[in-house]
Amino acid sequence: MVLPPVGVVAAFIGFPVVAAIAYTLGKTGGPNSMVASLAQHQHVAKHGVTLAAYREMLGDHQVLGDLWATVWVTVVAVLIVLAMSWTIALYLRLRGGKIAALLSGLSVVPLFIPVVIASYALVTFYSVDGFVRTVAYNLGYHSFPTVGYTLTAVVIGEVWVNVPFGVLMLSSGLNGVPDSLIEASRDAGASLSRTVRSVLFPLNVIPTVIVATFTAIYVLGSFTVPYLVGPSAPNLLGVSMSNYFSSFNQPQQSEVLAVIVFVLAAGIGAVYVWANVRASRRAGQVA
Amino acid sequence: MSAVEQGALHAAAPAARPKTARRVPLVARALETLLVICLFLFMLGPLIWLAVRAFAAVWFFPRMLPNSWSLEWWRTVFDSPQFMHSVRLSFEFAPTVTIISAAICIPAAYAFSRYRFPGRRTLLISLFATNAFPKFGLYVSMAGFFYSLNLMGKFLGVVIVQLIGTIVFMTWIPTAAFSAVPRSLEDAARDVGAGPLRVFFRVTFPLAAPGILVAIILSFLAAFDEAQGTFLVGVPNYITMPTQMYTLVIDYPQQVAAVFSILLAIPSVVLMGFARKHVMGGRLAEGFQIR
Repeated sequence: MVLPPVGVVAAFIGFPVVAAIAYTLGKTGGPNSMVASLAQHQHVAKHGVTLAAYREMLGDHQVLGDLWATVWVTVVAVLIVLAMSWTIALYLRLRGGKIAALLSGLSVVPLFIPVVIASYALVTFYSVDGFVRTVAYNLGYHSFPTVGYTLTAVVIGEVWVNVPFGVLMLSSGLNGVPDSLIEASRDAGASLSRTVRSVLFPLNVIPTVIVATFTAIYVLGSFTVPYLVGPSAPNLLGVSMSNYFSSFNQPQQSEVLAVIVFVLAAGIGAVYVWANVRASRRAGQVA
Repeated sequence: MSAVEQGALHAAAPAARPKTARRVPLVARALETLLVICLFLFMLGPLIWLAVRAFAAVWFFPRMLPNSWSLEWWRTVFDSPQFMHSVRLSFEFAPTVTIISAAICIPAAYAFSRYRFPGRRTLLISLFATNAFPKFGLYVSMAGFFYSLNLMGKFLGVVIVQLIGTIVFMTWIPTAAFSAVPRSLEDAARDVGAGPLRVFFRVTFPLAAPGILVAIILSFLAAFDEAQGTFLVGVPNYITMPTQMYTLVIDYPQQVAAVFSILLAIPSVVLMGFARKHVMGGRLAEGFQIR
């Protein structure tokens, strides 16, 4: 019964990924022959493998700029998503009421909106003639900076898209903490921040790790948000991948970037798996 | 802590709660309001700003609202066979993909939840590989493979590209939903003489249905919103709504893109409206914790 989805993933993801990695190492035969026959400026390995394509890309200033931009945007976006989701989730858990309901309703809005539209909406909102500058102008700030088409806008876009998942995961996690534990800690004289640090946070490490890792992996591989919202250079690697493939007709270089992103994502994915395995092992010991 | 102390704490707790709830300082009230306003502007502001644009004839900076209004752009979109064709295509692909995805993934989800077999967790996590390799790199390498299978520019090719984006949702969330059904209920039904099929359809499935519904809706939306792979594989025969958006944003007046955005958002808003309660209720969150 588990074969069909695993088979689809193996055939249409596993196999292309392996072929892609082989291609970046200079293997232009077999499944890569079609792409290789159309490509320009390839590094071909006559015997064994060659790292020439990686050397070329990692020696390129623009690519390095994009790589740093990707890492920077990912780290900042993850931190902001965590801060926002924790704030909203804590508010929901500890206060409740009308305002909490309003906050939770607002924070899941992006779930309802396709990413293409969200990106377009964000860029018009923060553009030269967008809402933010219009308000600033009417308040007297005539040279308010334009955020649209900058890396800051990319961070805003990635945060916008990822906040709902963070809020859902963390509020579900915080709901799992019994009232009695929170009250006991408060009654024993702990301040609110102490209760959060010593009770709520330690019990919600796993949801926090899940939010951080999924957000990071999403941002690393994203294309639509940086493509529509971001600057022409340096931008995220997702956009440079597309440029190398479509504009420069260099699929091998494009795949090298994909593998670099994959290695970063796999490292982050390992943290997720480790956290989950550790959690279920602990649960097994208690039960 | 002794049992007596613990009892005292519990007794004190209900009395302590209303006291803190009653006295909300003015500063806290102001902060709360500010938080709500900021979140409102951050989340909904861009969408409202875009929606207003769909009805604008002329809109010059720095006016807060358009100089003049018009429905002309709606007519432009509805009168364009090219745009309406992409609307129809989107509604053909997304349901097809969702049905295929459900057919192959839900039985698997049942197996993942009910049977402990070697490599179970590894397989569940390997499905997640779909998310870790950047989609674009995947599509580039798939394109070569698709050329040789003659899937480029074909209906089936687009279906496969959209399908791979739905598999994680369609497997993980139903797996958690099936796992949440207590085995004792199934055993009880079996004890009173129900066959395995009857147990599944009368007990297991109805209890897991909300989770499965969430998975179906998320998969539908994932397929409906997929733009990159569809563009690479489907061009020039199959331009769905989101792929159309890429060209619209660059080549058309802003208002046309705004109108199209509203149209494209309708199915998502309607479907998520249906599933809202279950998504918020933790069905989604459950699916992402591998057990």
